[in-house]
Amino acid sequence: MKRVIRSFLRYLVRRRSLAVLQLLGIAFGVAAAVGMTLASRSALESMEGAVDFLKGTATHTIARPAGPMEEGALAKIMGDPAVRFFAPVIDRKVRLTSGDQVRLLGLDPFLDRNVRSITAQIASSANSTGRDDAFQPFMLDPRTILVDENVAKTADIKAGQDLMTLQGPLRVVEVFANASGEPLVIMDIGHAQEFFRMAGYIDRADLVVTDEEGFRSRWSQGFTIESNRQKAQTLSSLLGAFKLNLEALSLLALFVGIFLIYNTAMFTVVSRRRDAGILLSIGASRGQVTVAFLVEVLILGITGGALGGIMGYFLSKFLVQIVGGTISSLYFFLRPSALPWTFWNVAGGILLGCAAGIVGSLPPLLELRRVQPVLVLRGRTASRSASRKMKIIGTVGLLCLALSLSLFLLSFLNVYIGFAGAFAFLLAASLFAGFAIVVAVPCLKRLFSCAMGLAGKVAIGNIRENLGRTSVAVAAFMIALSMSIGLSSMIDSFRHSLIWWMNGQLRGEAYISTKADVTVPEEAYEELKRVPGIGGIDVFRNVQISFRGKPAGITSIDAAVLQKWAQFSWLEGSDRSWDNVRRGDVIVSESFSLRFKVKMGDAITIDTARGPATLRIAGVYYDYASEHGVIMIDRSFYLTLFNDRTINSLGVFIDAPGPEKGRTLEKVRELSQKYGLPFATREQFHKRILGIFDSTFAVTRSMRIIAVIVAFFGIAGALMTLFVERQKEFGIYRALGFTTGDVAKITVAESIGLGLISFLMSTVVGTIFAYILIRVINRQSFNWTIFYHLTAQPYLVTFLTAVAASIAACAYPLWSVIRKYPVMQIREE
Amino acid sequence: MTSSIRTYDLWKEYDTGGHDGIALRGIELDIARGQIIALLGKSGSGKTTLLNLLAGLDEPTRGRVEIDGMDLQGLGERGRTELRRNKLGFVFQFFNLLPTLTALENVLLALELAGKPDEARALASIALVGLAGKEGRYPHELSGGEQQRIAIARALVKDPPIILADEPTGNLDSHTGTQVLELLTGRCRESGTTLVMVSHSLKTCEYADRILRMSDGRIFEEESCEGLAP
Repeated sequence: MKRVIRSFLRYLVRRRSLAVLQLLGIAFGVAAAVGMTLASRSALESMEGAVDFLKGTATHTIARPAGPMEEGALAKIMGDPAVRFFAPVIDRKVRLTSGDQVRLLGLDPFLDRNVRSITAQIASSANSTGRDDAFQPFMLDPRTILVDENVAKTADIKAGQDLMTLQGPLRVVEVFANASGEPLVIMDIGHAQEFFRMAGYIDRADLVVTDEEGFRSRWSQGFTIESNRQKAQTLSSLLGAFKLNLEALSLLALFVGIFLIYNTAMFTVVSRRRDAGILLSIGASRGQVTVAFLVEVLILGITGGALGGIMGYFLSKFLVQIVGGTISSLYFFLRPSALPWTFWNVAGGILLGCAAGIVGSLPPLLELRRVQPVLVLRGRTASRSASRKMKIIGTVGLLCLALSLSLFLLSFLNVYIGFAGAFAFLLAASLFAGFAIVVAVPCLKRLFSCAMGLAGKVAIGNIRENLGRTSVAVAAFMIALSMSIGLSSMIDSFRHSLIWWMNGQLRGEAYISTKADVTVPEEAYEELKRVPGIGGIDVFRNVQISFRGKPAGITSIDAAVLQKWAQFSWLEGSDRSWDNVRRGDVIVSESFSLRFKVKMGDAITIDTARGPATLRIAGVYYDYASEHGVIMIDRSFYLTLFNDRTINSLGVFIDAPGPEKGRTLEKVRELSQKYGLPFATREQFHKRILGIFDSTFAVTRSMRIIAVIVAFFGIAGALMTLFVERQKEFGIYRALGFTTGDVAKITVAESIGLGLISFLMSTVVGTIFAYILIRVINRQSFNWTIFYHLTAQPYLVTFLTAVAASIAACAYPLWSVIRKYPVMQIREE
Repeated sequence: MTSSIRTYDLWKEYDTGGHDGIALRGIELDIARGQIIALLGKSGSGKTTLLNLLAGLDEPTRGRVEIDGMDLQGLGERGRTELRRNKLGFVFQFFNLLPTLTALENVLLALELAGKPDEARALASIALVGLAGKEGRYPHELSGGEQQRIAIARALVKDPPIILADEPTGNLDSHTGTQVLELLTGRCRESGTTLVMVSHSLKTCEYADRILRMSDGRIFEEESCEGLAP
């Protein structure tokens, strides 16, 4: 037995180049899956860490359902018997002159010291006689701050220097350590009220509550009380769709990775059929041969898996930054750090490499156990049998296709059913690879004959005759290319839908600040109204609320202004719906309508500062601003319900003709500068939104690159295996008078042929995959409609990728051909 | 005389997609222990198919094969494997040595599979075929004739009662082929081993006790090679 195994293992050493290729194939497959999985886990675990740092020992927060709360209420809350500790907070954003944005917390060091460690340090220092000089200015000087080490490092400042913001300089008193990684600035709460022009108001109070039930019973009316568990749930559900997206990408990486490992393991077994035949003919049992194969596959699985686990860990370090950037752009600040290195990275990689390797080697090994030794001894499977197998595989493919269609029909039940349907579809498509080769070969033969003569004809014939190998390589490559087309088409369609939406909804000539930026003082709005040439100002306020236990958004706008200037696209209702909004109704976004299953004419009840309020839905509009859903309400009713005068941004519509328009715009810009507010023209604003959009798909793009690398190894492995297997055929070519150049042409043509067939198949599969992503996955995950938009770019890029990967994949086999062909003979070893 | 190999109404049909794929048509054969058989015939006459069926490497469509009185079909997969390990030696036209094992390891492998690992015996077998000193070489470091000698050493080393040789000289020049035939038949005669040699070459007849000719899937007994087309 040992010698049987040894004979197999020596093969790895003897065919080093192929073994290395197989090893790398497995390693890259594992790395793709491990990297993506670790990156998404890192991001989500970092989120929990960041929340923990800022909450300190607080158990609950209390705030108005929307907007700031009056200081008048604080004394009563503080006096509640259930409240052990109480810390008022102002939590806002400040934009630096460098363009970066930082979070500014306004805290009372004396009240806050029981909640957060950083303020405990300030309070104790201020009380001591020795060190109060450092913190006295913090409490006495209105424009002094503490900055965290990240801000200090980025702005290159230290204690005693100024941090330059759009609202003027702030003097740094002390630099503190911040484990969350979020750029953070702390100011005395009284100074913060002054700085943000919100005297008499705070954003929330952080509490340590001893009797939750009693406290809630006394304060539920007009306030929102959130426990830490609820906060974590809210954050988690905010990220719900994003997490789903990450999980899908991890699964996709796993799918592609397993495919490559499967491919590699299958080649390992298939290419050694003849050796297995020799062993069987001299008395080795099928069990011994199977064990020898499994040992070889396991050695490749263990080594490749371990290498892949290490590579995956480093890949996750890169991906986690992209994931963090996306979460920060879309939801809340997150600077995730990669998970610490553990042995489990390697163990997981090995497990994956071995499991997928065994699964990959099972079909040929089962065949080995079933067929007569004489057939195994002949080496490669006869094409007739391959064609028969192809029919069986095609039938299984049809069954998979039927399964995927059934799953899509049931996807309304759960988005994971939709995911399962997508994977079943990709699996079905991969099973049709052999069929696609048979269909494509006659046309390709003519094409390659014209382009490359006899060499081209022979090459395409070889692809057809080696269906057992080439179909798996085509399947792996096709899946990667289809993913590329599908994801690109989905992103392109989404981008076009977003542009269409922006052109309808965001039609202001200029925008002052945004919902994610600094707040706009009411004086700035009042002053802006007096600028000549202004046709209308949309006063925009967006707050996150909890609706039926899930996060949602409420947006206040000026309905009269939007009715006149904007062009909303309606799923239900029409521009006449604005009349109802002006009378106190609301309109809701498509995602809100789908998520909460409400439609035009329905009434919804929301918690307000005055208690529950019931509002009628006057229309449902297309929206891509938030997947959690938005209730849009006129500002006058919003003020009545929430008593929140905060303004997030102003959309400015100019009614002045030609040159006057430019002058008005300039005045608006000057006014923004005066108040230290970010200003953007419509084009700049749209561009910024598209920039955020593009950055959110950075992970997806990385996934496409990984898929192509994986596919490259698939094709390279297939070509190399074919080359090793057909040494005798090369001898025949040589005997027939084929030159080294001719055989090199055959190798290149085989590679490009495989690439072309894969590409042709991927145009169909990728387009359907894009449609599935748009119509099933995105709709189920994000609750919005993306309109399919056909663009040539994804197909062109994928075509070039296919050709480039095919040429790159044949480089090594080509080198081997050029090196070895001149000495090849028709002989057996 | 005891039968070493017997076949009864042996048929073999291949699936050729509608064409006539009958390779053997009711072969009746009885080979006595220690006999050396030359099995001649044109390409496609069914020689190799018959040999594969005798070795249990393939299954007949109809009929049965008996080796030393044991029905191959009745032995099952495990039994046939045991048979190949202990009672059969195989010599192929294309040598079929494992490329990743040395000459010695290839020979030793046959002994190990038979459960009798004995390096000295393997070395002796290699010496017997005249290749002492080349034990450590890999197949690709040996000439065609040398590879075939190693294949013969591998077949002989476990002292099987039957050796099946599929065109053992088919891939060799006539001088080397003669040497291989002399070696193979000589050793079989010395040890009383039954040898069935499939061949195109009429030269084989000179070394055989009995000549069988195959044509169109049927077998015919011949007195001599005279009149047989090469």
